[in-house]
Amino acid sequence: MHVAQEQDKLLKDEFILAKKRLKRHQKKLLFRRLIRNRGILFGGIIMVLLTLLAVFGPIFVPYDPYEMVVTDRLMAPGAQHFLGTDNFGRDLLTRMAYGARVSLSVGLSVSLLACFFGMLIGLLASYFKALDNVLMRICDGLMAIPGVLLAIALVAALGPKMENVILALTIVFVPNVARVVRSAAIVIREETYIEAIRAQGAKTWRIIVLHIAPNTVAPLIVQASFIFADAIITEAALSFLGAGIPAPDPSWGNILHDGKVFIFNAWWMTVFPGILIVLSVFGLNLLGDGIRDYIDPHTSK
Amino acid sequence: MSREKLLEVKNLKTHFNTENGRVTAVDDVSFHVDKGEILGIVGESGCGKSVTSQSILRLFDEKYLVKYEGEVLFKGDIDLLKLSKSEMRHARGNEISMIFQDPLSSLNPVLTIGFQIAEALMLHEKITKEAAFEQAIEMLKLTGIPSPEKRVHDYPHQLSGGMRQRVMIAMSLACKPRLLIADEPTTALDVTIQSQILDLIEDINKRFDMGVIFITHDLGVVAGLCDRVVVMYLGQIVEEADILNLFENPMHPYTKGLIKSIPHMDGDRKEELHVISGTVPSLENVPVGCRFAERCQFADELCQSKMPDLRVVGEGQKVRCWHAEKIAEQEEAPVYVTS
Repeated sequence: MHVAQEQDKLLKDEFILAKKRLKRHQKKLLFRRLIRNRGILFGGIIMVLLTLLAVFGPIFVPYDPYEMVVTDRLMAPGAQHFLGTDNFGRDLLTRMAYGARVSLSVGLSVSLLACFFGMLIGLLASYFKALDNVLMRICDGLMAIPGVLLAIALVAALGPKMENVILALTIVFVPNVARVVRSAAIVIREETYIEAIRAQGAKTWRIIVLHIAPNTVAPLIVQASFIFADAIITEAALSFLGAGIPAPDPSWGNILHDGKVFIFNAWWMTVFPGILIVLSVFGLNLLGDGIRDYIDPHTSK
Repeated sequence: MSREKLLEVKNLKTHFNTENGRVTAVDDVSFHVDKGEILGIVGESGCGKSVTSQSILRLFDEKYLVKYEGEVLFKGDIDLLKLSKSEMRHARGNEISMIFQDPLSSLNPVLTIGFQIAEALMLHEKITKEAAFEQAIEMLKLTGIPSPEKRVHDYPHQLSGGMRQRVMIAMSLACKPRLLIADEPTTALDVTIQSQILDLIEDINKRFDMGVIFITHDLGVVAGLCDRVVVMYLGQIVEEADILNLFENPMHPYTKGLIKSIPHMDGDRKEELHVISGTVPSLENVPVGCRFAERCQFADELCQSKMPDLRVVGEGQKVRCWHAEKIAEQEEAPVYVTS
């Protein structure tokens, strides 16, 4: 009797151990699949580095981004100023690190806000036919205007402030998200499992939030990363045109704007922020493509 | 043996608004289900059997698509077609529930099966999430899923088709409904799993004294499972009979054709299998007379011009045919031309 019990316990322990091992193995496999996807790997590395620059850069750089030293103006990259200085003698590396904060946080907030509101609009439009026409025609109207133009008009109306830039860009990108979510949700709405849960007596809002919304997340994540990239470019364009982040605050677009006049005397003012913009957009697009392939293996070939 | 009527459908009509005008997919259908009885609804694709079942639960979008007529009496006096939206929602899942044809697509892929069963409970009962999960495990055990306490955390893609259908059944039984509508629940499954699922449905029917409407196109399944059968053709009921009469003494030419089309294990292998010639006419231009006339060997002037009523011909047997008795007499003669 005693022996049997002990054996039972041993078996049980072994079973639990085996299960743990399996779980660990599954996690390892998942991680490996993630790493094997080049887009996610390189895009991820680029974005991690840029995020590190934005978060910790300003702590380590030795200068003040606003402090003007007239005697040091337009210094070439060298020992004293690693990436040179601008026309007011401000350290370019310092301004770029602070600018990373502004540019990335604008990009991130725009993509989060656009996804949230876009998802809301898309889901409502997909489920309520009466709303569909109204909402989608408004979206069509917004999409008919070129993004940068619309953003300039909105910022001009609202006033050049970082919050307003975020708001304007959100309005520009919401229709894109709404369309993606709507088309995904329309497909899912017709699935048998939605009919099944309706046959179980679920309320409409519950079906939308709990059963349709999670199924639209996959295409949404991909869209979010592209909007992140688009928002960075558009913010830079706005700032470059003087309709974005107001002047003393650094953003990559602002630095470009300042460098425009001195492009023949001080190439570094244009090249370095330009590289960062290109790099971040490149990284985000790689990431987005990678995630798309990862989520849906059909598109990878 | 007269039992209490659980569901009585009276003159149900379901109209759809399409681009080409109004289409009546279910035309004047009346039948009833007793407590603890399994009623089979048989017919080929597009005959309106699924639409009938979905009309009972009012699953179509009533604002734009569909218009119902007639009465669907539940438990004697509740007309489901007259209930408000929220009353109807309360009845769904709680009183009447439904399982679907394709178990692969009737579970939400992003939610665990435990959650989906627990949700069915939480929709109708004030119950904590933990208690609902406990019950979900019980339901899984009831439907014969091995080690249910582990399986509750699985996602649908981790289960086989038969298991998913069991989960679907567990989900629809969660609130102990009085009536279960099974819309071709075994069509997408292979034969061994099919018989297991049928056993399960029969077991549940016996155990909870639950009425079942079993929709299928497979007469073999009907023979083994149902108490009574309704045969539908192009939106109408053409014959209603208890299971013995249906196979021993089918009255309607269409029913006869269906029964003849069943392949037999011990039949002559060289002999061609019987086929009902022609196809089902479109619902958009329904014949004036008997709807089966075009494909019926016995059709005459009367059949072409006037629609027969569903009339009582024997004990519990009804048929919609002008010449049912005449045809029955010539039983020996070759009834159909094989194509």
